[in-house]
Amino acid sequence: MKQLLNWLRRRNMESGLDRELRYHLDRRISDLQRSGLAEREARRQATLEIGGVTQIKEEVRDVWLTRWLRDFAYDLRFAARSFLRTPSFTATAVLSLALGIGATTAIYSLVDQVLLHALPVHEPERLVLIDWKGDPAGGGFGSYNLMSYPICRDLGEQKQVFDGVLCRALTTVNLSTGGEHRPTSAEIVSGTYFPALGVGAAVGRVLENEDDGTPNANPVVVLSYEFWKLQLGGALDVVGRKVLVNQHPMTVIGVAAAGFGGIDVGEVPALWIPASMAGQAIPGFDNLLDRRTRWMQVFGRLQAGMTLEKAQAGLQPWFKAMLAEDARRAGFPKITAERRQRFLNSSLELTAAPQGHSSLRRRLVEPLWMLFAVTAVLLGLACLNVAGLFLARGSARDREISTRLALGASRGRIGRQLLADSLLVALAGGMLGTAMAPIVVRTLVAFLPRNTAANALHSDLDLRLLLFAFAVSVAAGVLSGFAPAWQAGRRSLVSSLRERGGTAFGGVRLRKLIVTAQIALTLVLVIGAALFVRTLTALMAKGPGFATTSLVSFGLDPRRNGYSPAEANRLMRRVDEAIRQSAISQSSAVARWGLLTGGSWNNPMTIQATQRITTDHDIHLNAITPGFFPTLGIKIIAGRNFDQRDSRPAGEAGERSAIVNEAFVKRYLGGRNPLGVRICQGSGPDAKPNIEVIGVVSDFSYRGLREESEQAYFSFLENEGSGGTFYVRVRGTPEGALRSLGAIVHGADPALPMANFRTVEEQVNRSLNTEHLLATVSGSFGALALLLSLVGLYGVMSFVVTQRTREIGIRLALGAKRSATMWLVVRDALVMIVSGIGIGLPFVWALGRWVEAQLYDVKPMDPAAIIVAILVLGSAAVGAALVPAHRASAVNPTDALRIE
Amino acid sequence: MITSPRFPIPQGTLDMLILQILSLEPAHGYGIAQRLEQISQSVVRVNQGSLYPALHRLEQKGWLKAEWKQSETGREAKFYSLTNSGRKQLALERDGWARLTGAVHLIFNEGNGS
Repeated sequence: MKQLLNWLRRRNMESGLDRELRYHLDRRISDLQRSGLAEREARRQATLEIGGVTQIKEEVRDVWLTRWLRDFAYDLRFAARSFLRTPSFTATAVLSLALGIGATTAIYSLVDQVLLHALPVHEPERLVLIDWKGDPAGGGFGSYNLMSYPICRDLGEQKQVFDGVLCRALTTVNLSTGGEHRPTSAEIVSGTYFPALGVGAAVGRVLENEDDGTPNANPVVVLSYEFWKLQLGGALDVVGRKVLVNQHPMTVIGVAAAGFGGIDVGEVPALWIPASMAGQAIPGFDNLLDRRTRWMQVFGRLQAGMTLEKAQAGLQPWFKAMLAEDARRAGFPKITAERRQRFLNSSLELTAAPQGHSSLRRRLVEPLWMLFAVTAVLLGLACLNVAGLFLARGSARDREISTRLALGASRGRIGRQLLADSLLVALAGGMLGTAMAPIVVRTLVAFLPRNTAANALHSDLDLRLLLFAFAVSVAAGVLSGFAPAWQAGRRSLVSSLRERGGTAFGGVRLRKLIVTAQIALTLVLVIGAALFVRTLTALMAKGPGFATTSLVSFGLDPRRNGYSPAEANRLMRRVDEAIRQSAISQSSAVARWGLLTGGSWNNPMTIQATQRITTDHDIHLNAITPGFFPTLGIKIIAGRNFDQRDSRPAGEAGERSAIVNEAFVKRYLGGRNPLGVRICQGSGPDAKPNIEVIGVVSDFSYRGLREESEQAYFSFLENEGSGGTFYVRVRGTPEGALRSLGAIVHGADPALPMANFRTVEEQVNRSLNTEHLLATVSGSFGALALLLSLVGLYGVMSFVVTQRTREIGIRLALGAKRSATMWLVVRDALVMIVSGIGIGLPFVWALGRWVEAQLYDVKPMDPAAIIVAILVLGSAAVGAALVPAHRASAVNPTDALRIE
Repeated sequence: MITSPRFPIPQGTLDMLILQILSLEPAHGYGIAQRLEQISQSVVRVNQGSLYPALHRLEQKGWLKAEWKQSETGREAKFYSLTNSGRKQLALERDGWARLTGAVHLIFNEGNGS
């Protein structure tokens, strides 16, 4: 280490040496002058005495550095030569580490991109997410951490805390840049978005405050760099072009800086639209200036030197005053006194947000860390394996090492040689693993939740990743080289020179310890794999609660193509009718909200049965055509399906009737007859339960397979204009259905894009992709771990048998039974296996709680999973030990004794 | 100044002599050279060229530490002093040397005696 340091500060050391030698010469010259010599003569003699300053410097430099480097280069050469002599050993070691390092690097690539990478904006560490803690007394739509636009504007005034405040909401718009209309991801942003993030324009200009003034008055957009390059060929005259956003013409004012893809790692918007145009970007939305409609995430940039705590404390007085003022405003919702108090007690919560906001991250944060932990364990196993291999090789090289020691090599020198060995192997493994990493990343990304994730995440090796891989390789090298080097340092010279045939005792105990540790780690991985596989199979076995065969779905949103609500509704009905008439469909239906997408329309409800109650949490709602339950094959348990009676008379607003599911009846109506009970949305005192429950359906999955939720369904009413998801049970293949259905939609309106055409089976699989990811990766890594530790166990036991051949021979010669000698070996192995399992189990227990949230229908300490894992591991391990044990029992006493 | 024939310093003893000199007080390279000259009464010839590599080697091993200080002439010079492990090393070497010279002495005496 010191030598490396020297190398780094060598310039400094050079000048020091220069000064030192100059001082020596000058002193000598002046001393000589004082004794009477002329200056020239004195200089000549002094130079002569010291004998070549350059040569001295060379020698000193040699001391500093070159000797060490020369030695190390020699070590590496020596290591490389000896590796080439034992190719199978080298290949095993390099491959083990390549597996470990490659897997770790690949997972880290995802961890880095999804969880750790800060946004490519100006000083991202000053960004904070501003969230409402308490009861916001209002409704909204979107994902989470939502606030209203006016409150975002108010926050922007808090200049003592914020250097800028921005808000944004993700949406999908139908975008046309001249040709067809395509559903495209867009970000609706405040005018402060680009200035506060410090992101500039590549072409033209970005949105500014002036673009976000009077509602509907600023039809301008900024395109993303990627969209501009890929879809518009990087046309330089893009500024000033008109594009159609949901059929509304808007002018492109610029292209955002390259590399900037919004603030959500999983959703890369193609364009940015000012919030003042939210009414165009979200058809039918007219609540931009409503203080209670929450739909945007709000971020602030802290003033320089402002801490999170100070900012949070500094905001509260203003916020409290604002709450009081809001509660007095006209139009404040009528809520109970208790809720009003909760509203007034709300506070603002700031969290650091250098990485922006991402539902992908929220969803993956736990699974990714779990996978990272799993790969780290796998890497640890690989290191242990290589350490075991090195120890075995060390035993074979024992005499070489002892001879070198006897010839005067220092123990440190030998240890360094062994470390050079393992570093070389680890770096080779690291290079191989890093080369494999992009393939693994692509495979993993294919598992991820959204289409967009595939666009947003890349599998390239960047500098950060290479540095990580290098650091991991070095760590793996040191880790796997530590045991052999330590062993070499402890070796007793005399005893090992005295040994015959090079079978030193050295290392057996250490190797047994290593194998025990391997078994412990493997147990953890195998049990983890069993839990995740059981979770996946349990969810697959449960299914969504309806038959998915031949069921396909796709979305239409006519409002985004400029349809009025009434027109949109007529179009939806027309398409539904046309599909039902066509030969390819058995039945067809429309739901306003798609199933198994992770989201839903939800609200608390008020129920008027014998007494009035409000639900304790949100009910999941949907609006459907009468064909919905028959098409999906969902049983109507009581009452009736929707029909003509449920469309309301002209001029009357709201839903007339509802169908609820069994879970709803069980939770809120007890044993009472649900038919005729009246319900409505909302939980305030002004909620009027006037919707009659006309039927009950069996439970099925709405948001996802895991949850058992209370649901209520309304009729897809005539004037309630909105898009929706079509569900069609088709005859023939989905591909054929796509063509026919596409033709039907095209016939209704050629400009209307069909979104997300897929089979419902595929949708089910998509909704389980996190579970698939966890089960597949932990399963394959568990199998790898098992293989690695079996190889380790087999290696040690073979070695032990070879070592004890003579002893076994003597035992046999003295009349021991062959089964007894076998037991001798198996017992040795059993000790390792049992203690490995014993060490592993507490870890399983400790880690169990951590994975609990990811499991379904299985406890982290599930006895079946643990017993199966122990049986698999134990029997495989005993099997691996039986081979050498059999060899021990087959020892021929005469041969064994003749080896001497 | 040059009187009797001077011996080249025996291999391996330069380090020990440097340690010994520095055990008395810290000194710079030129000071050590002069001290060697004086103490050995010009019997032993120290190649000044090998003094500096030796100093740096001892510093590398952690037996010496160095710092820049003002010297007696007022100019800054690099002063070396003994570290704790240097002190231990000196004791070891001194001990080894005593045993070696003792043994050599014995052998010579025995040769004389017989």
